[in-house]
Amino acid sequence: MKRAIRKTACLAAGLAVLLMSGVSARAMEDSLVIVTSFPKDLTSVFKKAFEAKHPGVKVEMLKKKTTAGVKYIQETASNNTSDLFWASAPDAFEVLKGDGLLQKYQVKAKGIPAKIGAFPINDPDGYYKGFAASGYGFMWNTRYMKAKKLPVPKEWDDLTKPVYFGHVGMSAPSRSGTTHLTVETVLQGDGWKKGWALWKGIGGNLKTVTERSFGVPSGVNSGEFGIGIVIDFFGFSSKATGYPVDFRYPSVTALVPANIAIVKNAPHPKNAAAFIEFLLSADGQKLLLDPKIQRLPVRPDLYDGPAKHLPNPFKGEVAAKVKFDVKKSKARYNLVNSLFDVMITYRLDDLKAATKAIHEAAAALAKKPNPEAAKLLDEARALVAAVPIDEAKSMDAQFAAIFKKKRKKATDKVTGRQAEVEQKWDEMVRANYAKAKELAMKAAAMAK
Amino acid sequence: MAAQSRGQWGAAGAGLAVLILLLAFLVIPVAKVVYVAFVDVNTGGFTLLNFVDFFRTSLFRESFVNSLYVAGMSVVFASIISMPLAYFTTRFNFAGAALIQTLGVIPLIMPPFVGAVAMQMLFGANGSVNLLLDEWFGFTIPFMEGLNGVILVESIHYFPFILINLSASLNNIDRAMEESAQNLGAHGFRLFRRIVFPLAMPGFAAGAALVFLKVFDDLGTPLLLNVNNMLAPQAYLRISSIGITDPMGYVISVILVAFSLLSLWTSYLATRGRDYASVQKGGGGLMRRDLRPWEKVGAWALILFILALVLSPHFGLLLLSFGTIWSFSVLPDGFTLAHYREVFSTALPYITNTLLYAGLAALFDVIVATAIAYVVWRTDLPGRKVLDYLGTAAVAVPGVVLGIGYLRTFHDLNVPIVGKPLASWWVIIVIALMIRRLPYALRACTAALQQVSVSLEEAAQNLGAGRFDTVRRIVVPLMAGGIAAGFVTSFATAAVELSATIMLVSAESDAPLSYGIYVYMQTAAGRGPGAALGVLAVIIVGIATWMSHRFVERTRATAEADRKLAAAAGA
Amino acid sequence: MNDRSQRILIENLHLSFGDTHVLKGIDLEIAPGEFFAFLGPSGSGKSTLLRAIAGFGPLPEGRILIGDEDVTRQPPWARNVGMVFQSYALWPHMTVWKNVAFGLEERRVPKAEITPRVERALDMVGLLELADRRPSQLSGGQQQRVALARTIVVEPRVLLLDEPLSNLDANLRIQMRRELRSLQRKLGITTIFVTHDQEEANTTSDRMAVLDQGVIQQVGTPMELYDNPTNLFVAGFLGSANRLPGRIVTEGAGRVFRAENDIVIPVAADEPEGEATAIFRPQNVHLKAQGEKTDESTICLPGRIAHSEFLGSLIRYGVDLAGTEILVDEPHQAGQPVLPEGADVTACLSADQVRILRE
Repeated sequence: MKRAIRKTACLAAGLAVLLMSGVSARAMEDSLVIVTSFPKDLTSVFKKAFEAKHPGVKVEMLKKKTTAGVKYIQETASNNTSDLFWASAPDAFEVLKGDGLLQKYQVKAKGIPAKIGAFPINDPDGYYKGFAASGYGFMWNTRYMKAKKLPVPKEWDDLTKPVYFGHVGMSAPSRSGTTHLTVETVLQGDGWKKGWALWKGIGGNLKTVTERSFGVPSGVNSGEFGIGIVIDFFGFSSKATGYPVDFRYPSVTALVPANIAIVKNAPHPKNAAAFIEFLLSADGQKLLLDPKIQRLPVRPDLYDGPAKHLPNPFKGEVAAKVKFDVKKSKARYNLVNSLFDVMITYRLDDLKAATKAIHEAAAALAKKPNPEAAKLLDEARALVAAVPIDEAKSMDAQFAAIFKKKRKKATDKVTGRQAEVEQKWDEMVRANYAKAKELAMKAAAMAK
Repeated sequence: MAAQSRGQWGAAGAGLAVLILLLAFLVIPVAKVVYVAFVDVNTGGFTLLNFVDFFRTSLFRESFVNSLYVAGMSVVFASIISMPLAYFTTRFNFAGAALIQTLGVIPLIMPPFVGAVAMQMLFGANGSVNLLLDEWFGFTIPFMEGLNGVILVESIHYFPFILINLSASLNNIDRAMEESAQNLGAHGFRLFRRIVFPLAMPGFAAGAALVFLKVFDDLGTPLLLNVNNMLAPQAYLRISSIGITDPMGYVISVILVAFSLLSLWTSYLATRGRDYASVQKGGGGLMRRDLRPWEKVGAWALILFILALVLSPHFGLLLLSFGTIWSFSVLPDGFTLAHYREVFSTALPYITNTLLYAGLAALFDVIVATAIAYVVWRTDLPGRKVLDYLGTAAVAVPGVVLGIGYLRTFHDLNVPIVGKPLASWWVIIVIALMIRRLPYALRACTAALQQVSVSLEEAAQNLGAGRFDTVRRIVVPLMAGGIAAGFVTSFATAAVELSATIMLVSAESDAPLSYGIYVYMQTAAGRGPGAALGVLAVIIVGIATWMSHRFVERTRATAEADRKLAAAAGA
Repeated sequence: MNDRSQRILIENLHLSFGDTHVLKGIDLEIAPGEFFAFLGPSGSGKSTLLRAIAGFGPLPEGRILIGDEDVTRQPPWARNVGMVFQSYALWPHMTVWKNVAFGLEERRVPKAEITPRVERALDMVGLLELADRRPSQLSGGQQQRVALARTIVVEPRVLLLDEPLSNLDANLRIQMRRELRSLQRKLGITTIFVTHDQEEANTTSDRMAVLDQGVIQQVGTPMELYDNPTNLFVAGFLGSANRLPGRIVTEGAGRVFRAENDIVIPVAADEPEGEATAIFRPQNVHLKAQGEKTDESTICLPGRIAHSEFLGSLIRYGVDLAGTEILVDEPHQAGQPVLPEGADVTACLSADQVRILRE
C-alpha cells in the first residue's frame, strides 16, 4: 500500500509537470480569448471557421451568461486576459463602455447599413459593433398547447388573458440581458404606465421566472410550461433541434443587433480585430444561417440569397415598430431591473394570487354582470398595475444613481440606499396585491 | 506533555505552511468579499447600516425564514431516508450492504443543471410521474413547486452526509450496548429510539449539521427550481446582476457564512461534554444478525423504494442522455447513441481536466488534512486549534463568495514562467476545489487519526524513528482507510462542483466537466450531450468511490484481524 | 425461588459462525439456584454458549430449556434472563438511575413500582447516592455494580455473567467476587459465570464446566475437577500438573504404571493395560534428603535440582528424575534456604495422589 501511495504521488507530480509544460507551451502560441454569452452551437461554428482561416491561432471561448461576463470583465480589468466581449444585449456593452472597459474599433468591412429597423447597428461612439439581428417573441410547445387546449398567442396583450394563467415562462431583466431588452422595448413602445401594466398582467400568468434566459426555452422544450418569452434564435434553434416548438414575433418588438467589442488592454488586439472582420464578412455572416444558430444577418444582400427563408428586417418583414432609445434604456437600466424584481420576480406568489382572483371575478361577472362589482374589479386591476414611481422619476439621474453604486469620485454623493428604496416599493406592492385580491374576491362574491 | 514538545519543529513548520495556505486562499479572499458588506456605499466608510437594511426589508426576512425552514425540513427528510439505510446495512447481514453504501453516495454526484432538468422531466408539473398520474387518476402532485420542491431535491441530494456519518457511528457502537438493552426486554423501534439512536447521536449530529448548512448555503437547487425567496439565491442574484454594486448581496453572504458557522458550532455543542466513547474496552465488533424471510422481504422493499427514489434523478439523466427529443411526454420519443458520440468526439478534455483537478484537489486535501489532524491532535503547538477551525469553516463559505474572492485577490498576481495572473491559471481551480472540499477530508482524517493509538507512535519513537518517519511509516499507513475515505468524498464532490469553478474558468481548454455540462446546457441541442457528460461524471466518480470503498473495507478487515491477534495474545 | 423454573437444560447444542463450528454437542443441566461457572481458555466457546443461553449469536441446533420452556428460538428480549456484559455496556447517555430503570420500563412496570425497585436494587449494590451520575463519572467497580443492579432489578429467571471481573484490578476483583457470591446467595438466583480464571471459578461456583474447542471437557464441583480431572486438558488447565507418559503393564500379581524412564507407580489391579499418562500435582511431591525414611505406599526416586523459582508462598523446583523433569512445590518458610542447582534430592510421592489418564 505504501508503494501505491508513492506511485500515486509520483504520478500526480508527473502529471502536474506535464500539464504545466503544456500550458506554458500554449501561452506562447498566438491565441484569442473571447468572453461570450452565446451557446456552444454558435461559438463552435465560428471558432472552427476562424481557426481554419487563421492557422496557428487558437480561439478560447469563455462562456458566461451576459451578467456574469460583465462581472468577469469588471473584476479582472486590472489585469485583463480577455480580447473580445461577444453577446446579445447592447445594454451590457453600454455598461462596460461606461466603465471604460472597451476599446474603440473601426470596421473595415463594407456593405453593412447603419440601421436595422429603427436601431443603429453599431455603437455611435464606435465601441461595439452589431453582427446579427434578433427580435423578441413567443415560443410555445405544440404538444403542451394541444394537451391543455390553448390557442397560440399573437400579441403581448394575449398573454394577459385568463386562459394562459400558469402557462407562461420568462426570465427576469436583472438576470438576462435579452429579457431586459424585451421589457424595456415594451416600456418604450407602450409607454411607462401601460407597459408596466402589461408586464404585471403577464407576470400574473407566469408559471415561473427563470434564473437564466436559456431557462425559458429549456422549460418550453421540456413542457414544464407551454409558452415562453424568448429571443428569436432560441425558438429557431430549439425547433431546428427537433423539439415540438414554434416561434412568432408580436407586432411590438424591437429588432436589435447582437454585438461584439474589443476589451480594453486586450492581450491579442490583432486577432481580435481579425475576428470582428471575419464575423462581418460575407463568409462569416453566412455562418449565422446554420440550422442550430438561425440569426438574422446584418448584410442585406444575404436575404436575397442564402437567408431567403428568414424574415428580412431591412424590408420590414419583421414588424419592429418600436424605435428603441438606447440612451433612455441605459439611464434607467438598473432601476428597471430592480422594479421588475420587486414587483414581479420576488412577489410572484402574491401577484399570481391577485391575478387569479381577478380572473375568477371577471369570469363570474361575464356570466352575471354587476356594475358595482365591475367597479371593484377595475379598482383591483388598477392596484395590481400601479407602479411606485412614474416615468419622469425613472429618468431622474439623481434617483437612478442610487441603483448604480460605482462612485466615480469621492465627492459624488448619493442620498438613499437601494435596499431602503426597494423596501418601500416592496411594502407598497405587497399591500396593493393583497388589497387587489380582496377586492376581486369581493367582486366575485357579489356576482354570485 | 513535555515529551511532546520535543522535536516539534517539523510539525510546527507543517502547521505554519498550512496556516499560510489557509490564510492566503481562504481567509483573505473571503475577507475581500465580505468587507463590502460593511462599507457605506455613499460615503465609502465603515457601517453596519447595510445589516440594518437587511433586517428591515421584509423580502430578506422572508427569505431568511424560508432558508431556515427549507434547511430544517431537508434535515428531517434526509434523516428519514438515511436512517433505514444506515440501520439495515450496519445491523443485519445484507447481501447488498456494500452496494447500498456505494449507491447511497451516488446522489452526492449530481451533475449541475442536467440533474435538475432530469428531475423536472420525471417529477415536474408535466414530468413523467405527473403525466401518468393525470392520465390514470386525473390529478397531479406538485413535487417540484416552491419550497417543497427545494426540500425534496435537497433531501435527495444531501442525505448521504447523514448516511455516511450515521453508518460510521452505528459501526462504532459496542454491540454489548444493544445486546444489554435486548437482554432487558427492548427490541425493534424502541431499541432504536432509546439506545441505538442516542448512541449514534454524534455521527447523526455531524451529518445533520452538514446537511443543514449545505442546504442553507445551496444556490443551485433554488435557482434551478426558480425559487428566489431564499437567502442564497438572493445573494447570488444581487451579486451577479449587471452593473449593480448593491451591498445587500454581500450582506447576505456574511449572514450565510455566519449562520453556517453557527450550525457547525451547535452540532459541536450538542455532542460536547457527553461521553459517547462507546467503543469500550473488551467490546465486541458488529452485531450483524440474519433477517427472517418476511423481515428480509420488508427490508428489501423499503430499501429498494428509497434507492429508487434517491436514484431517480440519475435514472432520468440516463434517459436524457440516450433520448432523442423528450418533451411533454412520459418517455423520450426515441433513443440514440448520438449524444455519447458527440461527447466522446469533443468533450474528452473536460473529462481529463476533471480527473486531474479533482484528483489533485483531493490529494492535496488529504495531505493538508493529515497535517492539520496531526498538528492538532498530536502536538501541543500554541494556537493549533485555529487550523482545525479554519479548515472546517471552509464548508461554510458559499462557492460564489470564494470564486469572487479569488478573482479580487489573485487577479493582479502574475505567476512567473506561465505568464498569466494566478486567477486565470488553471491551478486556481484546483486550489478552489481543494479549499472547498478540505472540510470533508479533514473530518475523515481526524477520525482516522483518533483511532490510531498514541502508544503505537511511541513505540516507533522508542525504536529510534524520528517524528517524520513515525508519521510516514506508522501513522499514515494506519490512517490509510480514513485517508482513502476523505480522498473519495473530496474527489467525488469536487468532480461535480460548479459554483466556484464557473467564476474561475478562464479558458475553455482548462474547463472541467461541470463547466462543460453548463456550456452544453445553454443550447437546445446540448441537452442530450450535457446529460451524456453528466452520466460519464457519475460513472467516473462512482467507480472511484467503489474502488476506495473496497480499499477501506480491506484495510478494515486487516485491522480487525490484527485486533483479534492482539486480543488473543493478551488473553 | 428455588424451583424448577430456574433450571437450565441444554441438549445436544451445536452452533456455527459460518463454516466455523464453535459449539459441538453441548449437554448440560444446571440446577435451580446453582452458581455455575463456564471455565476455559479464550476461543473455547464458553462465551458463545453463555450468549446462546441469552439468545445472542447465530441460531443454534439442539435445545435450550429454561425451566420447562424451550427458549432456543425465542428472541433475547423475550427470555427474561439477566446478563451482565464484560464491558458492562452501561449506556453513556443515561444516568445510573435511568440505566437501572430501563428494563422495568421496557417491561411496562407501573411508574409507582419502578421507583422503589430501582432504589432497592441500587441500595443492594451500595450505589443509591450515585443515582444521578453518568456512567463515565463512575469507577470500574462502581460501573460493575450498576451493571449488576440493572440486571437484577428486573428479577430475571437466571443471571448470566460474562467475565464480569476481567476489567477490574486484582484487589477489587477479589472483593467483587465475594460480593457477587453473597448477592447470589441472597437472591437464590441460578447464575452462570464465564471466566478464564480458574481461581475465580473455584472461589465462586458451586459447580463448573471446563470447555475446550467447543466441547465440555468435564463438569463437577471445583474440587472434584481439580482432584479428579478426567482428561489431560482439564488436569493442565486447572493448576499445574506433572504428566508422565507411559504404559500400564502387569507386573507380578498387580499392575503398575511404567513411565518411559522406568519410573514405576503401582496402580489398581483393574486398570486395563495399555498406554496412559500419570498425572500428579507439584505440591503432592515432597523433597527429602537422601536416605530419609519413607512408608511403602510412597514412591521415592533420586533426582537432581535443575532450577528453582521463588513464588512467595512456595518454592517451585524443577527436578530431573533420570532425564524426565518434574515440578515440585515446597512450602516456603522464612529463613529456609533454597536448595542449590545440582543438589541431589529424593522426590517422594504418595501413590494415591497419582491419577492415570488415557486419551
